[in-house]
Amino acid sequence: MELEEMQTVWSEISNQLDKQKKLTDKMIIMMTQEQYRKKWNKIAYPEIFGTIICFGMAILIFLNINQLETWYNIFFGLASAVVLIVLPILSLRSINKMSGINFYENSYRDTLIKYTKNKKQFQSLQKISYYLSFLLIFLILPVTSKILGGKDMFTGIKNLWPLLVFIPAGITFFVFFTKWVKKCYGKNINEAESILKDLESNE
Amino acid sequence: MSKEDEFTRVIKENEGVIFKITTVYTDQPEDQQDLYQEIVYQLWKAYGSFRGDAKVSTWMYRVALNTAITRLKKEKRKGNRVGIDQVVLKQTENYDIEFEEKLKILYAHIKMLSDLEKGLILLVLEGKKYEEISLITGLTPTNVGTRISRIKQKLKTQIVEE
Repeated sequence: MELEEMQTVWSEISNQLDKQKKLTDKMIIMMTQEQYRKKWNKIAYPEIFGTIICFGMAILIFLNINQLETWYNIFFGLASAVVLIVLPILSLRSINKMSGINFYENSYRDTLIKYTKNKKQFQSLQKISYYLSFLLIFLILPVTSKILGGKDMFTGIKNLWPLLVFIPAGITFFVFFTKWVKKCYGKNINEAESILKDLESNE
Repeated sequence: MSKEDEFTRVIKENEGVIFKITTVYTDQPEDQQDLYQEIVYQLWKAYGSFRGDAKVSTWMYRVALNTAITRLKKEKRKGNRVGIDQVVLKQTENYDIEFEEKLKILYAHIKMLSDLEKGLILLVLEGKKYEEISLITGLTPTNVGTRISRIKQKLKTQIVEE
């Protein structure tokens, strides 16, 4: 199909569509109202729910910091709390930035650049989040063991076999996990970079 | 005429354009419905700040195309959809098979292009001049020309490869 033929088909569909106007005033208003309501369901609810859980866990750690007793348990506790507070804040900030682009003031090119930049940033953050979440599993283990079970994971457990299995298994899992994360986000980030390169090099 | 009445009039006058944009930027009917509603919603949001210093169509293309490229994909489809499937998705039901086939090929070719290219070719097919395309896209008219000739070349290659 040549471009000329494409234009003929396009104008034919335009003519047909013009003849078939079916939207009603009520439908248009309903669409805007429904979409406004849906906004919050789509992004904010899962994010806010996750944030509440993370903050709740961080508060639990802070309230029980005295129970952690030893310096290393306190260190793990504080490190876990920092991850639990920082991660959701960064994620919410990033989503807010992505959805805050002004569609009217910005041209198509500017929107594409802004959106791609924010998306790249978001994807990079997601990548870091995955690594931090993995780290959190290890950090939070001795903390929960002490706070919820009352046992020091390093001195209070007599049988070391579970740890000897858990640590190598964790490292093996981490190697595969890293590869997977790299594959998932690397492609998207590279694509975003090439779009930006193309748009910004053609002034 | 109230702001709401004016807005609904503009949407009704341009519903075909919104339909074509949603067809080019989506693959699934559900996504198309979502995008259609999202564009109407964004147009409503932007309508208050539309000062009339540009043509309504320029303003509309800008908002609609910006919405299409920034829509978060793979979102969970929650909430109710207003029954626009009856309105937009069956608009092609009266076409003959041959035309329907041509239409499918046309959309397939456009969908193979990048997001920016999709927008550009859509505006070319809509019969927009380079100056107006430049206003909508923010590219210089010369850059628009260069990119469009590259897209034409790309489309030719796609067609040859078929």
